[in-house]
Amino acid sequence: MAAVALSKPSTAKATRSGKWSPWLFALPALVVYVAFLVYPAVSSLWFSLTDWDGLSATYNFVGLDNYFKLPTDPVVLTAVRNNVIWTVVTIAVPTVIGLGLAIALNGKVHGKPILRLIFYTPAVLPLVSIASIWGWLYNPQYGAINSFLRLIGLDGLAQPWLGQDSTALWAVMVPAIWLRTGFPMLLYLAALQGIPNELYEAATVDGASRWQQFWHVTMPSLRPAHYIVLALSLIDSFKVFDMIYAMTYGGPGTATQVMGTWMYANVFQYYQAGYGTAIAVVITVVAVAVGIPYVRSQTREAS
Amino acid sequence: MTSIAPVRVDAPVVPSEPEPVSQPPKGRKGLVITLVLLVAALFWISPLVLLVITAARPLSDFIGNGPLSWPDQFTWTNFKDAWGIGNFATTYRNSALLALMKVPLGVLISAMLGFALAKLRMKFRRTVMFTVFLGLTIPIYITIVPVFIMMRQAGATDSLFGLLGPYLAFGIPFEVLVLQSFFRQIPDEIFEAAKVDGAGDWRIFFTIVLPLSTPALVTVAILDAVATWNEFLFALILLNSDAHKTIPVGLLNFQGQFANNNTGLAAGILIAVVPILIAYTLLQRWIVGGLTAGATKG
Repeated sequence: MAAVALSKPSTAKATRSGKWSPWLFALPALVVYVAFLVYPAVSSLWFSLTDWDGLSATYNFVGLDNYFKLPTDPVVLTAVRNNVIWTVVTIAVPTVIGLGLAIALNGKVHGKPILRLIFYTPAVLPLVSIASIWGWLYNPQYGAINSFLRLIGLDGLAQPWLGQDSTALWAVMVPAIWLRTGFPMLLYLAALQGIPNELYEAATVDGASRWQQFWHVTMPSLRPAHYIVLALSLIDSFKVFDMIYAMTYGGPGTATQVMGTWMYANVFQYYQAGYGTAIAVVITVVAVAVGIPYVRSQTREAS
Repeated sequence: MTSIAPVRVDAPVVPSEPEPVSQPPKGRKGLVITLVLLVAALFWISPLVLLVITAARPLSDFIGNGPLSWPDQFTWTNFKDAWGIGNFATTYRNSALLALMKVPLGVLISAMLGFALAKLRMKFRRTVMFTVFLGLTIPIYITIVPVFIMMRQAGATDSLFGLLGPYLAFGIPFEVLVLQSFFRQIPDEIFEAAKVDGAGDWRIFFTIVLPLSTPALVTVAILDAVATWNEFLFALILLNSDAHKTIPVGLLNFQGQFANNNTGLAAGILIAVVPILIAYTLLQRWIVGGLTAGATKG
């Protein structure tokens, strides 16, 4: 099991140092971590209770007003809906494609390393460059996608993919899928290679079909990999910002706003830093709550 | 930063691909699967292939013949134009400088914390661990308002140094998670022997732990460098002047300027991603091994 496996806890601590010596090792990283991650995250809680505009020297404490305002903001409702769609689609589709690719690559295939290299390539590119590449492919007039549709006679399907409400969100999710398929593929491929062949041999002897083998041997053996893929994809999906910012800036109108981009717009464009921070707090609380089981499993394993 | 998997790194070996002994050798069926996968791979990589072709043709050729045609002629001018107008000499230097400062420092302090968590008797170890790992779930945007204020007060906006702190902080959870789990596997006997010889914690850390952990350190450093090179949001809010921009922010500006010049835009995107593509191709065994080493354990 990937991150939760093979815990051989070393009971005897190697070194019996002074009480404070370990802290000398821990301190530099902890200071940086607290100063630039914990402290800002916590002080955002404070800003979310104010009416600060982001510029003035002063601001007022307004209690939970910003939070009460959230449900009445139509863009927040759009953003929440988009975040949910984003999470479901950009987890489910890459996981299924990644698993399929892994199973195919795990078979009797030539040129496995190169194929694996190709499928994982999008995952190492900067999100902004992926946004640029796809923005360019989606170009209504000179983009490759519409050109291809015209080439095969489907002129009617050619459309401004990023420029209309009905397709924009889906058009942004396609590159996200492109980018996020590589990781589950790698993980599943590695996990598949760890399944002992004897299991399949036994299943074959018992007369199990390929399909039955998949459901009764492969899938149960992949459970640890499923867990890791799901946990990390979930954690990742709440962070969505770069791609949408760089591709559509939340538009057209507010069609592709997610909580992260709407927060940014409120802080840096509408000068409602207090309100924007409240948006960020809400999504962060959800992200942390969802991530806690995974974090706990990592902490437990290590002890 | 980017999605990287905090899994256990044991050794950055290329996940070995043993041919299943019991299955029949590669036959016609293997060939069919290979062919299907090859077509899928071509389709998968086609955006990048198209990008290369477009970047290497004149704009008139692109507009005249359409984006999917084979170019009548090839040219380097797109790259020359994009390099100059996109300010890539500057953004390259900035991104490289930042990675050179950030990655070694981040790996070192994370390794120190990881060592303390894995091998030293530390009070509140579980609490520290939980708090640090929880950082994996925190989106960057929750911190941008306070970080922005902090940097403005410190006069560190529009400076690469202002990015250093936030970059380090957001890299720490993943690096510590991977490194401490690697350190944990080093047998305690080695430490005990060193102790008998009179070595202190620091000497043990620098002369035993770090050398023994080179594979994990390299993997973490590479993944961290990729994440640093690609980071966008902090750079977007903290850097204003062109002289200080990093590659992702520079590329975004460039994209706006070249909206109507498809071949120039393609060249610019390519310039921005080529180093990372080369690095990835050369170092992929470390990346793949690091991301998946744990999963092979079953």
